[in-house]
Amino acid sequence: MAHGHNSKEKVVFVGDSRVKKNSMVNIPPDFTSFPGKSEAFIPYFLLKEWMVGVVVLVGFLVLTIAHPAPLGYPADPMNAAFIPMPDWYFLFMYQLLKYPYVSGDYVVLGVMGIPGLAFGALLLAPFLDTGKERRFYRRPIASSLMLLSLISCVYLTKVSWDHYQHQLEESGTKPEHIVREEKAREAYEKGQPAPSAVKRAKPVAIVAEDDPAYGLIKQNCMACHATDLNGGSGIPALRGIGDQFSLEELHDVVTNGNGNMPAFKDKLSTAEIDQIATWLSKQKKAAE
Amino acid sequence: MSNHEHHETAHQPVQRKEMTRRQFLAYTLGGTTAFLAAGPVLPMVRFAVDPILTKKTEGTYVKVVEESKITPEPQEFKFQIHQVDGWYESDPELAAWIAKDDQGNIFALSPVCKHLGCTINWNTQKDDQYFCPCHEAKYTKEGKNLKVAPNPLDEYDLKIENGFIYLGPVKPNTKV
Amino acid sequence: MFKGIYNWIDERLDITPMWRDVADHEVPEHVNPAHHFSAFVYCFGGLTFFITVIQILSGMFLTMYYVPDIINAYASVDYLQHKVAFGGIVRAMHHWGASLVIVMMFLHTLRVFFTGSYKAPREMNWVVGMLIFFIMLGLGLTGYLLPWDNKAYFATKVTLQIAESVPYLGPYIKELLNGGEIVGAQTLTRFFAIHVFFLPGALLALLAAHFFMIRKQGISGPL
Repeated sequence: MAHGHNSKEKVVFVGDSRVKKNSMVNIPPDFTSFPGKSEAFIPYFLLKEWMVGVVVLVGFLVLTIAHPAPLGYPADPMNAAFIPMPDWYFLFMYQLLKYPYVSGDYVVLGVMGIPGLAFGALLLAPFLDTGKERRFYRRPIASSLMLLSLISCVYLTKVSWDHYQHQLEESGTKPEHIVREEKAREAYEKGQPAPSAVKRAKPVAIVAEDDPAYGLIKQNCMACHATDLNGGSGIPALRGIGDQFSLEELHDVVTNGNGNMPAFKDKLSTAEIDQIATWLSKQKKAAE
Repeated sequence: MSNHEHHETAHQPVQRKEMTRRQFLAYTLGGTTAFLAAGPVLPMVRFAVDPILTKKTEGTYVKVVEESKITPEPQEFKFQIHQVDGWYESDPELAAWIAKDDQGNIFALSPVCKHLGCTINWNTQKDDQYFCPCHEAKYTKEGKNLKVAPNPLDEYDLKIENGFIYLGPVKPNTKV
Repeated sequence: MFKGIYNWIDERLDITPMWRDVADHEVPEHVNPAHHFSAFVYCFGGLTFFITVIQILSGMFLTMYYVPDIINAYASVDYLQHKVAFGGIVRAMHHWGASLVIVMMFLHTLRVFFTGSYKAPREMNWVVGMLIFFIMLGLGLTGYLLPWDNKAYFATKVTLQIAESVPYLGPYIKELLNGGEIVGAQTLTRFFAIHVFFLPGALLALLAAHFFMIRKQGISGPL
């Protein structure tokens, strides 16, 4: 320490001229002013708070075990029968936009006006309700407005949900995640693995493997186009080649070559090339 | 501290190990905390470590090539395996260098260099050795590491049925 | 040994006052349900935080398996829910937890409102709380799309349609959220980034402010 002889002396900094000594004018009624009416955070308060937490957690875990999260089928933009539904806590907004005067020409009112007003008022509540009184029955305007919005939210949510149920009934559809669960349960009861809704691209199969032309392919093509005809390192796969080239084009490529592809007109007879080209043109991806 | 306590208790006529109120509360709080933490976290941890706890699938054998094509000189053969990696299924192509040893036993080596995992090649230096272009590691025909690499090349499990060679999972080299 | 380590750190950083300050501060009895059962209404804030912690944890674990990509998203959710041990439970925690957070926060808001606790000097904390509410709704909205099933896809489409009807800015908002013209690959990555990085970041900052103000101002006195 700079000042010296006793370095073990504790240095206490007194005061910063910029900070007022008693700056906490905002201090809330300290709970020591309710003698005997307060308790230490740890352990008394926290313990009781966490007892409530335990109850909630147990309930929550039971819920998660009993009800798996819903999962429907993969998104399909072409699916016209699907009835879209937002999460339940957006239903009141969703329903609101169905009414006249908040949709169509007046949609701005529904999208911006009413929600803006409601959420704006909620956000700024402390600046709108500035009275000193805290008891809700002593500030009837604030309380009744809140109650009114609560009731309308509950009402709109309920109407929206009922309408959804009605739609489902009318169209005779079940929500996808329920259909899926039922199918999984059926499969389970039959001892089969659960059906997966995941679509996979099927590998292109070789068509007409018993054709005599396949023998010619084996002898002449597999050296470069690989034994499984999948090609590799710049050499095209012959599987599915019929989707890319017509019979005439294939005939021409086999006869005269193309880039790295050697010409076969000297090695094979025209009849053989015909056979090969015909076989290749049959190599089309199976329709799904 | 403990000395002091000992001193105090020594004066008491009856020695009972009773919990103080504060201790009881501390233990209860600790227990509740542990429960609140373990309840949600344990399932998640089990979820996260699932890959190391799932049973490894038995290695399947893939038909690669006719037995008659194998010579004492190593040759590269490509083959496809079906791989299920979580939600992703694919059929990647693997390569194996297959040769006959002096006793005429067929063996297959993995082309992955044991140094840093590049791909080795046979006889590019005209010295009848496997050579890795990355750091010039060299291996004998049996896969014994000669230079740079710390371990011999891995070997494929191999079985021969009806004149065809089938390759299985990779294992440490058994030839050297 | 732990005591030794603790003392070593304490000598250097003086950490005792920090946690003693939290541990020993006085809390009024009127918020403790053990004294008056009706005081359980004061627990909703803490419960919201508890569920939020579960949400953050389960979300972190879910991203170990999830991919935000339109080809693989659904397959990875399907895989983690049905093939991975406890996957169903972890995903259910995140799914139901999302609803539960909203419920708890709603009840907490109502408690603060009807006890008039937002009045001076706690106005700012109310505003911060409302911002937390909006962020939670945003998290619910963006998280809904991620499994990329029909429900996710069409609900998001409708939401973005609604966003488009905002005057002047609507089309821009929609295109920004879409990351293009359609609800597709770019929408999914965008929603993922917002759901996993942007909103949680803002949420944590606001939560810190919320708790700081509660400590600074104390819990509102008894009615």
